[in-house]
Parts: sequence; structure tokens; C-alpha cells
Amino acid sequence: MPSTQSPPIAGAAIDPPSLRPAIDDAVIERVDVLGVRARLEALKNEGFTMLLDLGAVDYPQRAPRFDVVYHLLKMPDAVASVAAVGTPARVRVLCGVDAADPHLPSVVDLWRSADWAEREVWDLFGIVFDGHPDLRRIQMPQEWEGHPLRKDYPLRGPERDRSPRPSFALKSNVQAGTPPSGRTLEALQEQIKRAAARDGAAHE
Amino acid sequence: MSSLSATPLTPEIVTQDGNSMVLSMGPQHPSTHGVLQVMLEIEGETVVKAEPEIGYLHTGIEKSAENLFWSQAQTVIERMDYLAPESNALCYALAVEKLLGVTDAIPKRAQAIRVLFAELTRIASHCVWLGTGGIDLGALSVFFYTFDLRENILDLQEAAGGARMHPNYVRIGGLNGDLPDGFLAKLDALIEKFPGRMRDLRGLLQANPILQDRMIDVGVLSLDEALQWNCTGPTLRACGVAYDVRRAFPYSSYEEYEFDIPTRTEGDAYARFLVRLDEMEESHRIIKQVRAKLDTPGPVLVDDPKIAAPPKETIALSMEALIHHFKIVSEGFRVPPGDVYHAVEGPRGELGFYIVSDGGNRPYRVRTRPPSMYNLQALKSIAPGNLIADLVVSIGSLDPVFGEVDR
Repeated sequence: MPSTQSPPIAGAAIDPPSLRPAIDDAVIERVDVLGVRARLEALKNEGFTMLLDLGAVDYPQRAPRFDVVYHLLKMPDAVASVAAVGTPARVRVLCGVDAADPHLPSVVDLWRSADWAEREVWDLFGIVFDGHPDLRRIQMPQEWEGHPLRKDYPLRGPERDRSPRPSFALKSNVQAGTPPSGRTLEALQEQIKRAAARDGAAHE
Repeated sequence: MSSLSATPLTPEIVTQDGNSMVLSMGPQHPSTHGVLQVMLEIEGETVVKAEPEIGYLHTGIEKSAENLFWSQAQTVIERMDYLAPESNALCYALAVEKLLGVTDAIPKRAQAIRVLFAELTRIASHCVWLGTGGIDLGALSVFFYTFDLRENILDLQEAAGGARMHPNYVRIGGLNGDLPDGFLAKLDALIEKFPGRMRDLRGLLQANPILQDRMIDVGVLSLDEALQWNCTGPTLRACGVAYDVRRAFPYSSYEEYEFDIPTRTEGDAYARFLVRLDEMEESHRIIKQVRAKLDTPGPVLVDDPKIAAPPKETIALSMEALIHHFKIVSEGFRVPPGDVYHAVEGPRGELGFYIVSDGGNRPYRVRTRPPSMYNLQALKSIAPGNLIADLVVSIGSLDPVFGEVDR
């Protein structure tokens, strides 16, 4: 059941990246799952030696549902100033991934840095990177169910049974058999009995 | 090693056979600078394989940000890299300003003060790294020298933004108000004090034979490995690459300031140590140049009532101002749809935000490029062949911040 804090999914979010392509200094490319690895490898050979980042975005009302976003940096150009080089040194590669078959080839063998980034995308979006040597959850606990950064995942997590809080500390301690301040359960019961007897005597 | 793949529960010694042993270091180990667990396969004292385990501080900041207004999201984003909050805030604000299309409308004074805080926060962050790194090596007194300097910077943050650790002073569209009275005098005192304090620190540490013994040729990262692991910031510059976002993709008028990019070629812990010390002095240089600009008053917030609320004094006088206030407080502002990647040079390296807007009053997606996470990953290359004691130095020299690694 979705948490009440989740805002409604906005209807406009079909494909924001296509609307205004040239806000920042990166060149933007869109590829499909079949061509993504070849394109990334070609870019790497062109001098984009660093895979700066790898992330994902979820567009539930669109097919393909996910965008996996690769940010590449051309190293020798980036060291010199942009004005001196004059060519953009950043490339952003967007790859649509279908929700029914969320599989994508891994690029860990091209850039080792993709290791944790791909694990994070798997963990938080449920997108599988084929060929990743060790694809397991990285941020959430291993036994966690669901992928929290998907838009249909409730903000406060799934509904789950929470054991009721003890209403009264002393009572809960007595029930659990661990009385406070080092007194044993027997001593505590004895004290309660004595107090009751004293109160009874006072009232008579 | 299959035994490394599954995260064990808690026992210190996980497996043991004839020669090697798998040991869990952390997540509560004092020298891991936060909650890092490193699964170590060791032979005697030598590390054969190290597998860092992260995620112990995962707080879902990116998810939270999607559920807050554009301006509110900045509050949680500042808490990612808690040692350099203003770097996070600046990067996020710059990215959103690009989406809004107001980048060129940010007043010059606001840009200068943003640079001032970005550099102050870099010094403060390096102070924590140096102080805690000194403790890792047994140099306890360094901590007091560096934290005293950091305290002065936190005082400045408190004066400007009202809070020491998370001032939330940089805002989308400019700043949360101009510098308060007396700020510049405090800043001048700090500028005055800094060179002497750096001389002390260098005197204590740089030529110290014990420190050199512990750091030289320890935690060596080759240039090729650094690029493979996508390291940025001082970690990459200690391998000989002068990549600095401030120079490569200038933002907030960094092109107006004169500064050098310190590099070393050794790639060891000592090289990273020297690069960071030099960086602190370069930051001091930039701060002095910013200070010279601060005497001329000017606006510090973009002149657009749809993004930045008009001054509070106008509320009682102008119906329009009241309406703008009400709109911004009750439903935030809307950002035109699109996606943007913006990066700044944080104390740990290239800090980037990939932000998607769907035209609403909340960010659709905020993806962080956390420099600490990528730098920390390089530990897999650094650790093998080193002693366990040197691993402590290696982790310290990468300077990870776990609020940012785990988010």
C-alpha cells in the first residue's frame, strides 16, 4: 500500500531528456540495449577514458520504462581548459530498458568503476547487468525485497508488522524478566507485595 | 573467493584455513572514518584481497529528494557530504539554475560569496581529513590544530547561515541573504591566521620521518588504475593528472580567479597528503581574491519573484509580494522539464548531479555522482600486497565520507 506521503506520479514525465537537449555542455546520445555496449566501447576508444557515472531514471508511464544514463569524460581534453579545446569533453549516453525484460550488458570489463554503480542500479531499480561478476545489493540489506528508487515504491517502505511499543517501562521489564537497576524479579515482586500490604494496612 | 561474496553477520574471524584467513574489519572500526566494512583475506599481516562493503549509512536521500520541493530537497542534499555541505548545496543549486535558465542572472556578489564558501568548506573538510588521518598514524596533537582552524570556518558558516554544520546558505537563485555585519572582520582574521597555521602543520608533519615512513610508497595507485576506478580530485591529481572541474568546466565565475592545480606523480598516500596540503593553500589564495571583491555591496539573489521570494519587508506593502511569498512557501516553484548534469570540484573530487525535471514543483530524479564512492572503490586495487596497518593509512588517504558514499 503506498504511503500517504508519496506525491502522485506526474503525468508529464514521459521523456524529459528529449525536450530540451542542450542545457548543459554534454553531447547527448540515445542508444538501445543491443547497441549500448558497442557504442560505449567505441566512445572509450575515441578518448572518453572515464566512465564518470552510471545511474538510472524510472518513467513508469513510458515504454521502455527505464533510462540507464552513462556519463563519459574525455580525459586529455578535460585537463586543458574547455575554452582552449573548444570541443565538448562530456558525453551522456541514455539507454532505454524495458520493464518486462530489464537486462543490459555490463561494462565492468571496460571500466572497473562500473562495478559498484551497476550494483547500485540493480539494487535500487532492479535492472540486471548481464556479465557483472558479483551483482548483489549494495545499499539495501541483502534480504531486502523490492527496488526503492522505482516510482511505484512507497516513500516509507512497504507496510510491515511492527511489534507494539511497551506502554510502561517497568511493566515491560517485569514481563521480560529483566528488572531495572540490578534488582532481581523476585526482589521486585517482593517489594510490590510489601507495598500492597502496607497500603492495605493504612486503609484499614 | 566465494567466502568473500556473502556478507557475514558479525564474527571477527570468518574463516580460517592453513595459510589465509578472512577477517572482517569494521563496520565499527575506529579507523574506517565512518561505517565501512572491509572483508580482508589475509596471509599473516599481508592483505591478499580486500572487498569493501558499503551501505551501512544508506538513508535514501535521493528518494527523499524526489518527494520534496526543489528548495526543500537542498536540505537533505546538504547532508550527503556532511564535511563539505556547501559544495553539495552549490552543485545542486547550479544544476537547478541551469534547468531554470537563470544561470547568467545570478548576481556577481552571490557568485563570489558562493566561491568563498566552496573554498572555506574545502579547507574545513581537509582539516578533518588531516586531523583524523593524523590520529590514524598516532599523531594526536594534529587533530587539535586542524579542528581549531575548522572551528573558525564553522563560525563563519554559522554567522552567514545560522547553523554550523549545515548552514543551507547557498540557495537556488543566489544566497539566503547577504553577509552579516562583522563577517568580513572574522574572515580577515582567518585569512591572517591561516598561513601561520599551515606553517605549523607542515612543520609538524611534512618532514616528519615517522609520518614519511608510514606514508611513502603506501597505498600506491597507478595512473591507469586511477582512471579505471574513475578516481577524481586529490586522488587522481596525486597520480599526475591535473583534472580539476574548476578549471575544466568553470562555474560560478571560477575563471576569474588565479590558482594552480597541485599535482604529484607518485600516487601514494604521501602524494595525496601533499596534494591536499597544497590545495588548502590554493584555496587560501582564492579566498583572498574573493575577499577583495566583497567590499562593494550588491544584490545576492536573482531578481525573479517566481523563484526567489521578494524581501520580507515588502510583504506588508505589496499585494504582489505577498502572493509570491505565499506561492513559494506553500507549493514551491516549478522547473521546466528537461535533464541536466552539473559538476563541481568538491573536496573529494568531481561531485555531480544528474537532475531530471518533469515540469513539476519537485525534482523528478536527483542522481548524485559521489566522488567518495568511486575513490573508495579503488581500495580493491590499493590494498592487496599491503599490510593491515597500511590499509588504515590507505583508507584515510582516500578521504571517504560515508554520508556521500551511501547517501
